[in-house]
Amino acid sequence: MRTPLAAVSIVMLATPSWAVLGEKAESVASDQQRLHGELRSTVGEGLAVHEITAADGTTVREYASPAGVVFGVSWRGPVVPDLAQLLGSYFPEFQEASRSPVRRRRPLAVRTDRLVVEMGGHMRAFHGRAYLPDALPDGVSASVVR
Amino acid sequence: MRAPGFCRHRGALPLSVAGLVALAACGGQGPTTPTSSGSPPVDNVAPLQVSSGPADNTVNGLYVSVTICVPGTSSCQTIDGVEVDTGSVGLRLLSSQVSLSLPPVSDGSGHALGNCASFADKSYTWGPVVTADVQIAGEKAASVPIQLVGEAGFPDAPSACSNGGTAANTVSALSARGLLGLGVFRQDCGPACSRGASAAPPVYFGCVGSACSAASMPLSSQLQNPVWLFPQDNNGLLIGLPAIPAAGASTASGSLIFGIGTQTNNALGSARVYTTDAEGNFSTTFEGRTYSSSYLDTGSNGLYFLDSSTIGLPPCPRNDSDFSCPSSTVDYAATNAGANGVSGQVTFSVANAETLFRTGNNALGTLGGPDTGEFDWGLPFFFGRTTFIAIEGQATPGGTGPYWAY
Repeated sequence: MRTPLAAVSIVMLATPSWAVLGEKAESVASDQQRLHGELRSTVGEGLAVHEITAADGTTVREYASPAGVVFGVSWRGPVVPDLAQLLGSYFPEFQEASRSPVRRRRPLAVRTDRLVVEMGGHMRAFHGRAYLPDALPDGVSASVVR
Repeated sequence: MRAPGFCRHRGALPLSVAGLVALAACGGQGPTTPTSSGSPPVDNVAPLQVSSGPADNTVNGLYVSVTICVPGTSSCQTIDGVEVDTGSVGLRLLSSQVSLSLPPVSDGSGHALGNCASFADKSYTWGPVVTADVQIAGEKAASVPIQLVGEAGFPDAPSACSNGGTAANTVSALSARGLLGLGVFRQDCGPACSRGASAAPPVYFGCVGSACSAASMPLSSQLQNPVWLFPQDNNGLLIGLPAIPAAGASTASGSLIFGIGTQTNNALGSARVYTTDAEGNFSTTFEGRTYSSSYLDTGSNGLYFLDSSTIGLPPCPRNDSDFSCPSSTVDYAATNAGANGVSGQVTFSVANAETLFRTGNNALGTLGGPDTGEFDWGLPFFFGRTTFIAIEGQATPGGTGPYWAY
């Protein structure tokens, strides 16, 4: 088990945002598209988790390393969120790797050398996660991203 | 039991046999059997096909034929190759397949109304909301809001809809001519979209010129599950599909039957009722762990559950990594439980997907793949079973929906 998480802070943001995979954790505040959400941050040994709940019920979690790099994001909500925004510079790689034109409409699982994306769900209840295997902090398993 | 408010009559119904059956069904006497008149009940059986679809580019596609009419007229069109999807709600037809001119629904301010549906594979459908009379088998719902997907001349999908996904606006991209969403809800979005624009998810959009912005939408203007708008047999449906041999079958045929306990052909019998949570989910316990977001989805073409590190099934190589490729077929058991506490075991098998694909068969009962920490019981679950879907707020002999029963 991980060490119990050490600190919790909850901040109401007028203009919260989504995290961006592979960028510094400050990217959590870089996007001004969504309004009236709540940011909840939890800091523990080996990682920090920033959770944003938007007014429409979508929840996004950002997982940041001690160096402040976002190594994983997850989401849950009534619709599929903006993946271009969540995956940032990794989005084109995801697009390329998920271009399987046949046997459609099922959960997606994409794995490249640098990126894992898994998403599923149904109307009113979607979920998914993305992480960078090589950017996981020492001693942190990919299973924390959920 | 049956609340009067849930009983819906179409005002213009003539006093026909159908009207009488509807009135009797709303009387709260449980299963309705046509009696003294001796007239046959409404034909509530629509044939289903499992195939590669109208674009011949999928497997385990479940298709039905749907007739739409300009509301209140006999100007009608029948469209086959419409996919039956219990993972969504509402009728969505590719505009390219619709020859009728159907009246649009406006957002109340006179603006054009756009609808966006997102799907788990990051595809989406976008287009105007219009109304049509919707007929399946002998069942007909009047003035149902439906979506026309990919309508020429309609504004482009706003970025809050496309979200970096891919447009499912052709027969090839959709693997169907349309989607018939028959999940457990009455509307596609429901209360989340009717409570105020600032909190509405990006599902309904009001369009001014080419600019569309997310809008709040009353329940009655949202895309509807047509089944609960039928004058009779409107509390749910059942899907019956045959068992499939281990190597698969080229195609398969089954039945979509409307109503639960309303006619002699749709009794619950010994089926167990699993009620759902507010999102339409039940729970699945597998190898000692319980997963809370399980669902039955004819629109998913395989059994998708957990991930390779949890279940030990290797993903298939290259483009087939969404599927599992065990070296030999693996048998599993899991226990599903409803919100009502009713539980029951399900046994299932996962074979090597690439081996299955090489057979050229389109009905595959052992097709599986990963899903992050969840259970998506796709079409293989429905093979060899009768599966009931009770719609939210609708009374049935097994209780009020939403529930699944099998």
